[in-house]
Amino acid sequence: MSSSSKNTPVCRFKVGDRVRIKDQSWLFYSRVQLYARGVEGTIARLNYTDLVAEDETFNVEGEIEQHYIVQFRQQDLWPEYAFPNDTLQSEYPDRWLEPLNNSQA
Amino acid sequence: MTTATGGHDHGHIHPPAPQVEEISDYSVLEIALRELAIEHGLFTAEEHLHFTEWAEKIGPASGSRLVAKAWLDPEFKKLCLTDANAASKAVGVDWLDPTGAGTPSDYTHFVVLEDTPTLHHVIVCTLCSCYPRPMLGNSPYWYRSTNYRRRLVRWPRPVLSEFGLIVPPEVEVRVEDSNQKCRFMVMPMRPEGTDGWTEDQLAEIVTRDCMIGVASPKPGRTADKHPIHKARHPVGHEPKPMGVAE
Amino acid sequence: MSAASDTGHDRIALLEAIRSQGKEWGVLAPKWGCNDPDPPWKFPLAGTFEALSESGALPSLERRHAEDELGDSLYKDVPPPESYLLTLAHTMIERGLLAEGELQQKMQAVRSRLEEE
Repeated sequence: MSSSSKNTPVCRFKVGDRVRIKDQSWLFYSRVQLYARGVEGTIARLNYTDLVAEDETFNVEGEIEQHYIVQFRQQDLWPEYAFPNDTLQSEYPDRWLEPLNNSQA
Repeated sequence: MTTATGGHDHGHIHPPAPQVEEISDYSVLEIALRELAIEHGLFTAEEHLHFTEWAEKIGPASGSRLVAKAWLDPEFKKLCLTDANAASKAVGVDWLDPTGAGTPSDYTHFVVLEDTPTLHHVIVCTLCSCYPRPMLGNSPYWYRSTNYRRRLVRWPRPVLSEFGLIVPPEVEVRVEDSNQKCRFMVMPMRPEGTDGWTEDQLAEIVTRDCMIGVASPKPGRTADKHPIHKARHPVGHEPKPMGVAE
Repeated sequence: MSAASDTGHDRIALLEAIRSQGKEWGVLAPKWGCNDPDPPWKFPLAGTFEALSESGALPSLERRHAEDELGDSLYKDVPPPESYLLTLAHTMIERGLLAEGELQQKMQAVRSRLEEE
């Protein structure tokens, strides 16, 4: 689907796309919170393109990826959350996201 | 001491503020660790001095001024929201060179989050305690605590109420968990009762806690105070969040 | 004389001795009538954190994770910034960046030097 060369960072999503945070195993450490695994959210913002933190730490020649801010409804994150309007946002690199029925993947 | 005419001599010096006169093992430990680290080649004395001076220098004044300028100038506010790195330069902060060492440890992607009448932001880093140090200075102890980091994402309104901030239910509370390379700061709303204020007067009420999102600026509120409240949802023993796979 | 705890971290006798004296800034400052909210070593400690991370000896993320683990367990009754200092020493010893014995000796030498001043 999408591959990257040194000049074209992996960037599959745009603002407004619905995504799910993957629940994948990781080698050493991950910045993707347990609370967000498997949860659906919306792309709120495209931040920067960069090496993914896990790759950088261990000096792996990783791909440059788009990093996004994803917005979640708090009621999708926590079973008892009482306020329907409240949200939580956090940052994820492209590889940790999968599309949800978007018009373009 | 009185003069010949019976008046008082006002040349006396005020006594210096009291200091702790005993040498605690903690102060000895800090020095010992540092000296051993240098002896073992873990870093140099120059590097240590450089970072120590930077830690002493930084504070929330740049952040306060950024917000005050934005409140007074709609064009500058727009810049803060579209290119926060550029806006930071106007208050003397260069995110590409925050330590002056050429190797920024505070990542370089700065984002300002604008509060509106229907949206209140609050910032946390659940992973460690990432914080926009070039703009706000050193993070407060409570921000680094596991107590704050684990509870704010799930119970933001109770945690905010412990800081004395009650957000009406119709206002969206948005938690920003800064887990990657962005560094965030809240631009709170300008409060009532500040018409005609100068930039300096406005900056004075934009305290550090207002830029993290645990307080709101108000006329007359020029310092952050932290009442101690017992947590209603203490860390530990909470059930798994919904997203965690079994 | 380290006893294993249930957290996977062994207690370190030298650090336990410091902790048990209870001479945190929160105790010393009021005793001497000092109004500074933080001890003067807070900034050189921050310098040490930064310098260790920049040189790669102890990256900040790893140090913070150790700080969380130790701060929630062995040192949970120690307030910040003393908890940061103890957990740093503990982590450096655990990782072999320095040895408990040499730290003890160095502390003695530093104290003698300071007391002479």
